[in-house]
Amino acid sequence: MMKEKKTRYSLFQIVLMGTLLLLTLTMIVPLLHILARSLSDPTQSATMSGLDIIPKGFSLVNYKVLFSNENVVPSIYNSLFITAVGTVINILLTMLAAYALTRPNLVGKRILMVFFIIMMLFDPGIVPEYIVVRELKLMGSQWSVILSQAMNVYYLIVMMRYFESVPHSLYEAALLDGAGHFRILFKIVGPLSKAGIATLTMFYGVARWNEYYRSGIYISSIKKVPLQVILRKFVVDGDVTTLIGTQNLMDYNALAQIDYTALQYATIIVSIIPILLVYPLVLKFYTKNITAGGVKE
Amino acid sequence: MRSGNRAYRLQQTLNRVWTDRVLYLMLLPALIYFGIFRVWPMLNMRLAFYDYKAKGDWVFAGLKYFRMLFKSSAFTQILKNTLIISFMKYVLLFPAFVIFALLLNELRSNAFRKYVQVVSYLPHFLSWVVIAGIWTSFLAPNAQGGLNQIRALFGMDPVDLLTDKSAIRWVLFFSEGWRSLGWDSIIYFTAIIGISPDLYEAAALDGANRWNIIVHIILPALIKPMTTMFILNLGFFMSAGFDQVYNFSNASVLSVVDILDTYVNRVGIENAQYSISTAVSLIKGVVGMVLVFLTHVTSKKFTGEGVW
Repeated sequence: MMKEKKTRYSLFQIVLMGTLLLLTLTMIVPLLHILARSLSDPTQSATMSGLDIIPKGFSLVNYKVLFSNENVVPSIYNSLFITAVGTVINILLTMLAAYALTRPNLVGKRILMVFFIIMMLFDPGIVPEYIVVRELKLMGSQWSVILSQAMNVYYLIVMMRYFESVPHSLYEAALLDGAGHFRILFKIVGPLSKAGIATLTMFYGVARWNEYYRSGIYISSIKKVPLQVILRKFVVDGDVTTLIGTQNLMDYNALAQIDYTALQYATIIVSIIPILLVYPLVLKFYTKNITAGGVKE
Repeated sequence: MRSGNRAYRLQQTLNRVWTDRVLYLMLLPALIYFGIFRVWPMLNMRLAFYDYKAKGDWVFAGLKYFRMLFKSSAFTQILKNTLIISFMKYVLLFPAFVIFALLLNELRSNAFRKYVQVVSYLPHFLSWVVIAGIWTSFLAPNAQGGLNQIRALFGMDPVDLLTDKSAIRWVLFFSEGWRSLGWDSIIYFTAIIGISPDLYEAAALDGANRWNIIVHIILPALIKPMTTMFILNLGFFMSAGFDQVYNFSNASVLSVVDILDTYVNRVGIENAQYSISTAVSLIKGVVGMVLVFLTHVTSKKFTGEGVW
């Protein structure tokens, strides 16, 4: 009786693990295929199966074409600039507001929170915002994208939760010692909320890096747009001319065998490298408690 | 006497505001930001009632644009598309996240659970542009596409789902699930691991099996996060996820995936018809907000749970 129950139980575990393994394969295999095809020899890669995860032949030619493109390298710098400056602004504004809103007895806190929640729930749409950006003469500038996305109310609320968990006695002691609010924020509350600030910095950073829509509308010059805009042109709109660059079109047409799809895949890979770099940090700070293992039992 | 009291209280409040003046200064950047990039656009939404003029004042047009919208079959279609796609993504898909959290919790191997978590949380961080690229590759119409390779194993003919009107909404459904399954289940998984071990012990003493435990201990602990998520989802109902639809749509399937926001983008941004697209945004914004508010109030009344 006991034994029978045990076998049935482990059969359930095997089915469960098999199901979840299949599920994760749907996430891993397409990514590995894209990586593999981008690293393959273009003369052979066009015939690769969508389930192949080993490169056919090996060649870096797709990446060479990509990095010799007159638009791609600048767009990576543009992305880095918008992401770095934008994220700093995001996190600063969020920390300042979250600190003020979590102080005890702040007059008007309720009204302020109602205001922020309305800001979160009501989206005026792109055209009314577009008109504002134009009136501010920000059209064509990267600042249009940086400033129009300066804060996210949802992240403000998350930051408030972290700040609220800092012991009140510390705050009051510092206040009695005559420390100012900026000092308390950056020397006491901030350092004690390191995990929260790290997490939100990464969330903001990822959103900045992945942003393409407003950049495509507000920044018209191809020299100033971030990588995601170029990526969308190649991958979604299938615009190969921009990808190869009119200047280099001749050269690469000579390499008539070149596999355009593989070139698109190389662009995808380049655009997700930064995400893969910060991903371990997300796991470390945000999901540490739930991925630690052995939490339960 | 009463007015004296009031004056005294006002004086006290003002004193407190003055003492906390640095705090208001700290809030100022956020308020300025929302003032310029949210409140100002909200005021610009009056454009829905005006004819746009690049130079000079806008000309009052009354309900002209709303009448145009309600008369056109295009608006009915985009509204229908929005509601269908939202229903699939926010209602039909909803149980998947709860089930995924339950399955993770049932796993006995911690190492395997961690592997599943690490893999399944990742797609959440990819942009929809990248995801569209990955899915376009997987669904490639020729025999090479991953899906068609699998179909070939079972002797099935190749399909092209991305240009198939009857399939594209399911592509949206599954790609949304693919991207969010892991990440959106975190809230439920956290609630499950937060359940007190005492409850499990008591259940074990009562002779409860795994199924009893799921039904009587785990699911009740998930009601609160499920309510919150459901209300938040309703807030997205009029949006239906612009970024995803925008990157998956193409001319062959536009008629079934054109939603309010893709319409606003095409008509407002690409064709510069500002008034009519603003009218759509206004309807969308008001209805979306009312939806969230009503569900919040109803939920508060019946379950005691809300979003704020």
